[in-house]
Amino acid sequence: MFKPLNKILHSSLVACALFAAAPAHAGDITIGADFPMSGPNATYGDIFGAGANLAAEHINADHMLDGKLAIQYEDSQALPQQGLIAMTKLVNVAKAPYVMTAFTGVSKAASTVAARTKTVAVNGGGVGPDLAELGPYFWNVIPLINAEIDTMVPYLVKERNFKRFVLIYVDDPLGQAVAKDMPTILSKVGGKMLDSMSIPVTEQQFSGIAAKVRADNPDVIYIASYGAQELQLIKQLRDNGLTQQIASYSALAIPGTLALPQAKGALYTTQHMDWSSADPVTKRFVDDYSKKYNKQPTAYVANYYNAVRLFALLAQDLEKHKQPITGENLLKARKDLKTFDMVGGKMVFNENGTVTMPIQVNEVEDQASKIVYAGK
Amino acid sequence: MLFLQLLINGIQAGALYALIAVGFSLIFGTTRIFHFAHGATFTIAAYVFYHLYAVAHLHWSIAVLASAMAAVLFGLALNRWVYIPIQKHEGSFFTVFVAAFGVSILVENLCGMVFGRSYVSVDTTLSRSVEIAHGLYVSPLSGVAIVIALLFFGGLQVFLMRTHTGMALRALSDNPELVRAYGLSPRRLSMSVFALGSLLAVPAAILSAMGSGLQPSLGEHVMLISLAASIVGGIGSLRGAACAGLVLGLAENLALAYFQPQWSEAVTFIVLFLSIIVRPSGFFGRVIAS
Repeated sequence: MFKPLNKILHSSLVACALFAAAPAHAGDITIGADFPMSGPNATYGDIFGAGANLAAEHINADHMLDGKLAIQYEDSQALPQQGLIAMTKLVNVAKAPYVMTAFTGVSKAASTVAARTKTVAVNGGGVGPDLAELGPYFWNVIPLINAEIDTMVPYLVKERNFKRFVLIYVDDPLGQAVAKDMPTILSKVGGKMLDSMSIPVTEQQFSGIAAKVRADNPDVIYIASYGAQELQLIKQLRDNGLTQQIASYSALAIPGTLALPQAKGALYTTQHMDWSSADPVTKRFVDDYSKKYNKQPTAYVANYYNAVRLFALLAQDLEKHKQPITGENLLKARKDLKTFDMVGGKMVFNENGTVTMPIQVNEVEDQASKIVYAGK
Repeated sequence: MLFLQLLINGIQAGALYALIAVGFSLIFGTTRIFHFAHGATFTIAAYVFYHLYAVAHLHWSIAVLASAMAAVLFGLALNRWVYIPIQKHEGSFFTVFVAAFGVSILVENLCGMVFGRSYVSVDTTLSRSVEIAHGLYVSPLSGVAIVIALLFFGGLQVFLMRTHTGMALRALSDNPELVRAYGLSPRRLSMSVFALGSLLAVPAAILSAMGSGLQPSLGEHVMLISLAASIVGGIGSLRGAACAGLVLGLAENLALAYFQPQWSEAVTFIVLFLSIIVRPSGFFGRVIAS
């Protein structure tokens, strides 16, 4: 009864605040961001926005485009329905030719508007494998979760000799994709799936799940959830006496993980990023981000920096050829230019709008994480 | 053993749900105000405790006291500056509900701005389970939750049955006009109800900060439980709300023995629907004559 009203009020408040805070100017080039800015996954919106804003600052400082680049944010709450409303507003009202999306469910919902209106939607946070199949106007600047599982599962089975897995997955497109793919990957490398448990997106109490996992007695507990829920789950599993290896994917690359004592020892995969790289784009990004936020960036920050930078490179090319900045032209420019200088090195898109990057396995330590395995 | 473990988990969760639901039920039953911001009271109490104890490293007793004060002040301020003015001018149930809803969103966003939007928790050994029998794990927090719930319910019963204010509150829920005829002020009594109802949310908020951790949108789940327990227990019945909270906690956990965890939240609504069908007035509610 209350959720729809909740969503409407949330988005109205956020929209009012943004409208008041960031008026557009004539000549501005506006792109959209369909990020969670309220609800249990709002922390991701902060992280994504930090990368996108830094890129816009650099682009405007360098006068890469004829007008000033502005980003209009709309709140998705990480929910597909709300994300769809936000996407529709960005495309129809803000007339954004290029919208950044995040989260698998939201990205899938937004992709329908992107395909219909020929607007480019770029995902830098969602990792569901379905995101590779959303049409020519949907691009990903992050490797998808099948690449992450393909690295993590063989690492755990072969390098750590952990063969018995329990999967706890959130009941949404991302979790369902993991539940579908993981048994196949496990069987290929000699592992075994003892149990897989789906949890609702809003679930917060996990002591009962801990009891079930204890009864299964696995070597590894793989978690396919995200945000506050994933951290709550880790805390409650550990508090309930489970000492097994916890493993997850790139969603654990958030500050809350490092601050949670119970997360120590957890393994998670991310795309490989060399923050000490000397290439000028990466160096400028790392230096300015570290100066501004007094900490090292994460892959998520880099992805949305790259997403905005990608737009600027494509729009710059279109302006050079006196072509309007539309979704169709941006797609054509991406196919023409092929390779882009981005944070982390050269980015080349596959035919289906995805990117291929090396994946690394990280281990959470005290207030930091270290790379324990650099995949290919 | 799994069933026994789930039973213990269910009792712990149920004790917390009961504490949350009783505060909401007390306010709603006495004032007929649909205090949707009860979840916000819970969030404020939890974050104040977290900040003072885990961030500022003050003694736990100071953090508990400050948390209780913040919850009570919030409840009183909301009643004085939001509910009473609305009731004075219009008094519509829906207007009060929307105002409370707006306040809860405001509190969620303010908590996000002040305390951060990331997940946080209070690290304490009380939340770490110990093996009390082979394969049976219980955390000290479970015992604390049950003892505190019993103490608060006992204290509340004594307050309502033995004190003048308590008796006046019970009279207010029965007949506000009669209360006025006896020279008592329903408005002043409603302030006492909000103070008491908000205070009841504090122990559950603190125990949740330790047990499951915090994020600013925590209040939504709290309201869901409060509402379901109030209906299942019988609108306005404190005993009913407490029993229903316990039943919901048990049902949520015991369902795991038979169904996928995905269904545990749905169990709350199944209990709610069954209750509405079998006993529309709730466990201890008054039967409404047609």
